[in-house]
Amino acid sequence: MYDVLLNSPVSAEAQTLLPTVETMVGVLYFGLFAISFDFVSGYTGYLSFGHAVFYGTGAYTVILVANGKVPLLGPGTPFMLSLLVGGLLAVVLAILVGLVSFRLSGVYFAMITLGFAQVLYVFVRGWDYVANNPRDGPAVGPSHVEGFQIGVPGVDQLSLAIGVLTGDEVSLLGSTLSSTAVSYYMVGLVVLGCYFAMQRIIHSPFGRVLLAIRENEERAVAVGYNTYLYKLGAFAISGFFAAVAGGLFAGFRRSASPENSFYFLVTGDALLASIIGGFGTLAGPLYGRLFDETVREFLSPAGQGGGLLPYLRALLGQETLDAAVVGNETVGGLIDLLLNGHASLYVGIVFVLFVLYVPDGLLGTLRSRVGGTFAEAVPARIWGDDR
Amino acid sequence: MSVLELAGVHTYYGDSHILEGVDLDVSEGEVVALAGRNGVGKTTTLRTILQLTPPREGEITFRGESLVGLETHDVAARGLGWIPEDRRIFGQLTVEENLRAAIPEPGDVAAGLDLAFESFPILEERRGQDAGTLSGGQQQMLAIARGLVGDNDLLLVDEPSEGLAPQIVADVAEALSRASEDVTMLLVEQNLPLALDLADRFYILDKGRVVDEGETAAVSADDERFRRYLSA
Repeated sequence: MYDVLLNSPVSAEAQTLLPTVETMVGVLYFGLFAISFDFVSGYTGYLSFGHAVFYGTGAYTVILVANGKVPLLGPGTPFMLSLLVGGLLAVVLAILVGLVSFRLSGVYFAMITLGFAQVLYVFVRGWDYVANNPRDGPAVGPSHVEGFQIGVPGVDQLSLAIGVLTGDEVSLLGSTLSSTAVSYYMVGLVVLGCYFAMQRIIHSPFGRVLLAIRENEERAVAVGYNTYLYKLGAFAISGFFAAVAGGLFAGFRRSASPENSFYFLVTGDALLASIIGGFGTLAGPLYGRLFDETVREFLSPAGQGGGLLPYLRALLGQETLDAAVVGNETVGGLIDLLLNGHASLYVGIVFVLFVLYVPDGLLGTLRSRVGGTFAEAVPARIWGDDR
Repeated sequence: MSVLELAGVHTYYGDSHILEGVDLDVSEGEVVALAGRNGVGKTTTLRTILQLTPPREGEITFRGESLVGLETHDVAARGLGWIPEDRRIFGQLTVEENLRAAIPEPGDVAAGLDLAFESFPILEERRGQDAGTLSGGQQQMLAIARGLVGDNDLLLVDEPSEGLAPQIVADVAEALSRASEDVTMLLVEQNLPLALDLADRFYILDKGRVVDEGETAAVSADDERFRRYLSA
């Protein structure tokens, strides 16, 4: 579909508006991270501001395993197993952090989780075991040149490698899927599996208690639920999936740094995605991330692929761009002033507008319009409520 | 035999001394009303029993076992149910999910739902509806039904008729009356005729202390004892 649009008469507009496939891979793995953030924060009401630490744990585990730096796990360890190990490490970490943090609530909980995460962030920045320059973070070393395989470990026919340069290409029905496109589908498969797992948990009796905690924790306690254990369980589950997301990120990018994995602003991006997509909707943060990335790419600086800036330059032509508007300021200069490198500014404005006017987020608002989740509302509208 | 006993209970909110040595007891099968003006500590008494606001001094025993120092969920697990004021239902859960959430494992969910729907048939009609979208009266019915289905030995009922239309109050009173045949209750209620109608005994609370008590059969709502402590 993407290729069809790019080869159509509206290719310039499609390139301007649509994110690239590589961006979409990022939307998937980061969307999973944002979903995991929503799993604990959106469903229990406890804002885990240090959630990036689990994402970083997953990312670093994958790279350190590939580099043979994790005891008992050689460089040949299947990627799927590395994801699992990263997830389990995050579970242990989440329980340790949660044991202390869930003694508190509200802003104190948010601050203490942030505090723990910052401690670990500073620690990995100075831990020279992970990389020669730990401030830049580790990269997959030369001993592991092949791409990380997603599929059934040990069965090559049921596995495909991901990565822009290291991923597999697949010939299908006379056309060839690029390694990035293959990465998109394979990462998407894992993200989908994780999403359905979390959705099942949310719709289980355990999930109902989480909702009860969010709605009225005091009442949930008085019913007889040990909410402390439920919150700890939700935190651990959420940490597991956050680490899987981090592992996918590292598997695709083949490197990670403290800044793009452990840093608190990574959690900030998940919070942004959750608010734009819809807090407490589970799937919403994925759409929130898609929206966020699309806006960023649409407003991306010159020379970074498609977007509004190169589109306008091509559309207006050099003569118009050189034309003066006010004093010595040209049309091209004005466009540069307004658009070049200011994506974060506009995303910030969009964020404020969402908080003010779309407080339920994209998916939350859509659900309230159709009267429930799409899985419930659409069949009810087609067949009526008395199916 | 006393199911619940409070002896010299002192409770504070920060520096504010709310309960100043409350003594009361509730016997098996009784409905005991706790009356008093606003702000004298009636709701705090219930919260203190549940350890939501633990006492600083005094003893609270349930079936001879001290509740002081226990976690609230452990108190609830011993068979104390709470029907709070202001209908603290779980608004984003459906009616049925609210009821199911009130029956912790390994409770009999089917029997609990039957009991709730028998007590309040409207809840069965609305079983799939989000509880937050129910009317105020229906939310109160749901709050009471949740207390009933929890297989509790003692129900702490806080202002069940507050803010309800007279017809709904009658339904609520009937449901509580039926429930009282199976469960012991400590009832906080501003509607004195209703409280006296439901209860076997009463306590009057004033400034954090029990100032009077007696059998409800021997008094009426306009009794001097109530006028002294309950009139504004």
